[in-house]
Amino acid sequence: MKKFVLLALSSLSLFAISNFEVAQKSDRVISGYEDASSHIRMILINANADKRERLMKMIVLEKEEGDKSLMEFLSPADVKGTKFLNYEHTNKDDDQWLYLPALKRVKRIASKNKSGSFMGSEFAYEDLSSFNVDKYSYEGEALEIEENGKKMYKAYSKPISKYSGYTKQVFWVDASTFLIQKMEYYDRKKELLKTATYSDYKKLSGIWRIGRIEMLNHQNDKKTILIWENESIKNGLKEKNFHKRVLKK
Amino acid sequence: MIQKVLLLCLSISILFADIALQGHVELQSQAYLNHPQGKHSYNNTAFAQVEATYTNENLEAILKASAQGDYYDLKSEAEKNRRSFVRLDEAYVKYDFDDAQVMAGKSIRFWGALEVDNIVDGFNPDDFRSELFNMDKLGVYNAAYTYYTDTGELSFILKSGEPDQKMAAFPYVYYFFPANVNYDANLQSEKNRYRPTIYLSYSGSTDTQYALDYAFILQNGYDSQHYFTSDAPITSPRPTFTNHVYLVNKAMSYNTLVVGSTLLKLEALYADVINDKTVSDYYHLGLGVEHTLTQVYKNADLGILCEYYKYHTLEDGKYTDLQLFETFQNDLFLGLRYSFNEGDDASIIGGVIADLDYAEQSYYIEYESRIAQTLKLNLDYRYIEPSQTTLTAFNLLGRHQRLSLKLGYYF
Repeated sequence: MKKFVLLALSSLSLFAISNFEVAQKSDRVISGYEDASSHIRMILINANADKRERLMKMIVLEKEEGDKSLMEFLSPADVKGTKFLNYEHTNKDDDQWLYLPALKRVKRIASKNKSGSFMGSEFAYEDLSSFNVDKYSYEGEALEIEENGKKMYKAYSKPISKYSGYTKQVFWVDASTFLIQKMEYYDRKKELLKTATYSDYKKLSGIWRIGRIEMLNHQNDKKTILIWENESIKNGLKEKNFHKRVLKK
Repeated sequence: MIQKVLLLCLSISILFADIALQGHVELQSQAYLNHPQGKHSYNNTAFAQVEATYTNENLEAILKASAQGDYYDLKSEAEKNRRSFVRLDEAYVKYDFDDAQVMAGKSIRFWGALEVDNIVDGFNPDDFRSELFNMDKLGVYNAAYTYYTDTGELSFILKSGEPDQKMAAFPYVYYFFPANVNYDANLQSEKNRYRPTIYLSYSGSTDTQYALDYAFILQNGYDSQHYFTSDAPITSPRPTFTNHVYLVNKAMSYNTLVVGSTLLKLEALYADVINDKTVSDYYHLGLGVEHTLTQVYKNADLGILCEYYKYHTLEDGKYTDLQLFETFQNDLFLGLRYSFNEGDDASIIGGVIADLDYAEQSYYIEYESRIAQTLKLNLDYRYIEPSQTTLTAFNLLGRHQRLSLKLGYYF
């Protein structure tokens, strides 16, 4: 009997996977795209199901020390040509600039607080910044579960930054591909705030890319859907494509 | 003539070329609850702007034109505001090299960091036919070469041809001169008006713990500050006022420092008047703080703004700030900006500008929102309490109260 318990324990530890490992593997399968270019359709749906839509063109440069991204608004027409340039940093606040075409003005943005809404959506700035395992703390082992006939890992992490709007993130990861399927965000009061559902993954040049994220805010019943269209990766984008000069181009 | 040819080019290019078009049409209605006697108590304005952009790899050509129609210009000859126009704002080409860019043509530039008044933003003169609180800039002919470093840019700009500044006529509420004054829009320049104005600018950003955006500009040529002369005493039946521009050497800088959720801003300039005997050397300084509180109510952000301006002439016996109509000579601005952060991009901004020398206050509150995917609504209320004892620009306007409604269609 003693031998059986020991055997059972050792086999458990052999297959157990920590929350950190799940996050790390999850990060690995979507990394290595070098750069990406896409159109992003943002659909904002309020509690009365009224819809507002925005269309953006986005390019991203993958970098070890923090990604660089440039977003240009294509619609609505009154914000067409507005650009948002972001340099992420792991050791300090991000550098952010907004270009307002009507005034031809480049405006510096203070980026300290990551919990603010991104362009009026249910996404916060921190939800859309590139995933980096170092931004979170992990404890314990992930749960192995089955949902809709699929084997998954249920893991959790806690943001390290005191400026984060969250106290905990719980995420469901496909056990075979390590692609995130769902994420729950818990607010500063430790109550469930939002759920993001990830879908329409596609493989581009051997790298998994997300196609759609649906973010539901449980506290105000609002929803935002992000849809990536015409995405391409490894386009050969360089640092100069993210120089401040591109704002006025 | 040049404008007509360029507008014709714009029309032809829109018809035949594969270019991107965008623009907007606005209808604005204003009621002046307090206004000087003899001036209109309300006004309606229609404004349209269209921009055409042709892009071919590294080459970009831009044409931008505006048209404005004033209700009283259409109504009757006697009541004309003379604010209606068709105007070519921009017509320029630019070509991008790997580390450089060249541009030439008629264009508009922005320089500055502050929110209420950008004292270094003098590349383009204002169009005096616009409404007082939403000044339009006039495009100017210039050519520029810009070299880009890893973190900044160095520009050499040559500007030529100071434009005339047409002004609205007396019945319009924001015409500041007395009713008997005739304004001559032909600009009087110290030398030939095509004498080039040269700018050398360097701007960049630091990659430090507290990030800094900085810009330094050196200028030789015509100043952005103008002055007016009269051919007869103002008490005479019909004096004519003329707009003058003179030569300066000028140093300017504008900067933004990021400290957490706070932006610290500085704009400064020093002008050395070269020959003109009526205008003094001067400096102008602007300091600003902008702090943003996020999610103060639901998704809404609250921006707290504070700015201080100081203008000072350095020589006695020459034009003073009052004669130069400089309104930001010792002024403090306190304001709030409430961004709802919802799908309609609605915001409310309000504040007070207090003149610390002449005991004047200007209060305003403005609401802006998209009301459909292509329509935008703007409502504002303004109240000005002018100086009772000093002949300032606001004293000439008198106690002023207005309501404004603007509806814009964007395409």
